[in-house]
Amino acid sequence: MLALAPLVIITVAGFSLGNIYGVRPGSEPFYLVVVNDDRGWLAGAIIDALGRDHAVSVVSAANLGDARAFIRRQDRAPLCIVIPPDTTTSFETGSDIHLIVYIDPVKRLEAAAIELDLDRLCRVVTSRAHELARKRMTEQATQLRDQLIAASDRMKAVVAQLDQLRRQFEHARVTAQSELTAQTRQTIERMRAEITVQINQSVAQSKAAVEHDLAERREALVFVVSYLEHLQASQRDFESWLIKLKAAAGSHANQIPPPPEWPAPPGKAPLAELSRPIDFPLPHIDVASPIALSDTYRLPRLPELPDFPSIPDFNATFSQTAVALPGIVGWQERSITGGNVTVNAFDQYVPGFGITFLLIDMFWGVGVGLIDERDWGTLARLHVSGASASGLMLGKLTARFLIGLSQMILLFGAGRLFFGISLGHNSWALLFPAAAISFAAAAFSLVIACIANTRDAVLPIGAMTALVMSATGGCWWPLDFEPYWMRAAALGMPTTWTMLAFNNLMIRGLDPSSVAMPAVVTSAIGVSVLAIGILGSSRIYRRAAQ
Amino acid sequence: MPPSPEEKTLVKSPQTIIGAAHLRKSYGSRLAVDDVSFEVKAGEVVGLLGPNGAGKTTTLSILATLIDPDAGQVQIAGIDSRVAPYTLRRKLGFVPQSIALYPSLSAYQNLETLARIHGLTRRESENRSLEALESVGLRDRADDPVFTLSGGMKRRLNLACGLVHRPAALLLDEPTVGVDPQSREGIFSTIRTAADSGVAILYSTHYMEEVERMCDRALLIDEGKVLADGTIAQLIELGGHHPRMEMVFKKSPLMGWYEDIQGVVELAPTDDEAKLVLELTSLRQVSEVLEHAHSAHGQLLEFAVHSPNLSDAFITLTGHGLRDTTTQDQ
Repeated sequence: MLALAPLVIITVAGFSLGNIYGVRPGSEPFYLVVVNDDRGWLAGAIIDALGRDHAVSVVSAANLGDARAFIRRQDRAPLCIVIPPDTTTSFETGSDIHLIVYIDPVKRLEAAAIELDLDRLCRVVTSRAHELARKRMTEQATQLRDQLIAASDRMKAVVAQLDQLRRQFEHARVTAQSELTAQTRQTIERMRAEITVQINQSVAQSKAAVEHDLAERREALVFVVSYLEHLQASQRDFESWLIKLKAAAGSHANQIPPPPEWPAPPGKAPLAELSRPIDFPLPHIDVASPIALSDTYRLPRLPELPDFPSIPDFNATFSQTAVALPGIVGWQERSITGGNVTVNAFDQYVPGFGITFLLIDMFWGVGVGLIDERDWGTLARLHVSGASASGLMLGKLTARFLIGLSQMILLFGAGRLFFGISLGHNSWALLFPAAAISFAAAAFSLVIACIANTRDAVLPIGAMTALVMSATGGCWWPLDFEPYWMRAAALGMPTTWTMLAFNNLMIRGLDPSSVAMPAVVTSAIGVSVLAIGILGSSRIYRRAAQ
Repeated sequence: MPPSPEEKTLVKSPQTIIGAAHLRKSYGSRLAVDDVSFEVKAGEVVGLLGPNGAGKTTTLSILATLIDPDAGQVQIAGIDSRVAPYTLRRKLGFVPQSIALYPSLSAYQNLETLARIHGLTRRESENRSLEALESVGLRDRADDPVFTLSGGMKRRLNLACGLVHRPAALLLDEPTVGVDPQSREGIFSTIRTAADSGVAILYSTHYMEEVERMCDRALLIDEGKVLADGTIAQLIELGGHHPRMEMVFKKSPLMGWYEDIQGVVELAPTDDEAKLVLELTSLRQVSEVLEHAHSAHGQLLEFAVHSPNLSDAFITLTGHGLRDTTTQDQ
């Protein structure tokens, strides 16, 4: 039996890994989904070229959402190519353009094969476009050279005419300068004379006004002087009178009459006239009106411009026949599932080998455990205990299930810690496939325990079953390595569905709902196998009694 | 198949705990058990004797409901195995020939686990486990893993596992194989205590002296059939053996000195003239033989008297041929 196990594994591995050595996974072509948002000639050419490849079957999708749905639905659809808007225009104007390749990271091998073809196609398109552009540019360069020669001749004529024109302008400048100097001198002389006359007239007017003003004040001053002289005479009269009075009065001095009245002072009008400020009118000189500059300056006429030769319209020429070197057609890779494009290999191997060793541990553990119990006699003792056979088996399997689930959880923790594996956006959802495969493995282990009669039989049967289930179920390599017939056969394996669930969460980065169906199918397989195992468990008891 | 009206009358006495009626089981063309019927009452210890391949283990397996008989009926404490096998098992204690223990669990854990599986509550399981350990003298080794115990201790624990849930019937299959005398005595003591408490015990063994010592009755089966069923004395008698007397003379007595004694004959004449083997009719003739020898001027050097036992009866009833040509006792 142990010799059969490697033969089976070699067979599975040989068929599975043939892809690495160039064997296609099947005769039917891959589906290549294309979303054409450009609709230009370049997009059409690319799609036509892809369609000529017999290895792919081009499927058009209206948008990325439809493409994503198709890829998730179709096993043989590894990627989608989106041709962005204005790709053709950008390419024609020399910009590098990038097709966007949305791949399913789990279908990496098939995607890589198509990407290889796409890469080759991009190079061919770029090369062909550049070749055409170079040809047109050569023709345009010849045309341009002829135009440039003609333009050069015309430019020489223009330069000669411009030189003559420069000399004419120099002569005109000198003439204008001398004329302007003469006219300026004349204007200044005339202005000086006119201003002198005006100043003299103005000064004379001012002098007359001042003298008139001074005459009025002199009259007021004469009045004041007269008053003062009269005042001085009155004062002397008073003093002599007073002397006479006093002498005459004697003892009757007290009866002296009042002194004579003083002359009245000058009135306010003469004094105000004296204090009034002298109004000295400023001379008024009007120099604007007599000097009209516009009438004064007369510039010489400029020489007439000659007729220059016409310059070729290069802009028009190039706009009509411009040829730009096209850009480079390339592609960018993105994940269509939302996960990482670059997959950590441990995202595949940690769950994959975790399942493998879960199966081995479970098959050996349950099988050998039951055989040990049979050999020890404890199985017979349990049977006699009154507990139902199915109850005892379910109890034992429940314990194994919990151990298996714990083993998977620990393994994922270690994978995260040591290898940085992705646990997806919702790591808790990993529990569902882990629990489902633990349950299914426990169910399978019961069937194996029913089949194997001895410890020597349990080990090879368990190992072979675990290895075949792991190999075909995509635990050791991505499922898309395998040929399609093997993938179809693997749908009966719980490992296939569990790996699909793990891949959906860890590599594709999908939401928890993506594991619902795989977990349900795995559990359903487990329930079916468990029913067979429970029915067969009576065989274990029969052996225990013998 | 539901029991017939006749089969319902299997339990003849209210005290009958183990009842087997017309059991029949064959493996292919070989008949392992053929019309075996017996019963064991409460507090009774019944030995199950037979050479290898006689059908002892098959009979025990049928009683333990490990295998179904082709025909016949089993009742334990009045419960028919075909009507309520799970209820029947609750009443049954089974001590297989192999040491049916979990090696990595402690003695206490083995007992407690089995008690829980038998349906006892946690508290009951704890109490019964400690009691069972006490009864087999393993209280101080309760927490030791089974693999660290000696063979005798494992045998005692094996027995305790069959008693921990206080069954009405106990099936013992070679419970003393490979144990030292001290452990054997401990096992005997436990069995006797169980029987005294009313447990009906069916004791399968090859050791005749154990049956003679422990059992109230014995069943002798061979080739699947019950050859004899009765008390130990009845079986010995059934074997037809008489007491033998071996005598060695320093000086032989006169010829024919024992011929006057009624029923005494010489057995298997030997080449040694000084040695004589006589078959007596009963042990009461020993003194008479000695008197006759003395009267005939014989000088007796030594003598030995051999009383017939179960082993003699077993050999007589089952024959002298080897029975271990099969690898497994059926």
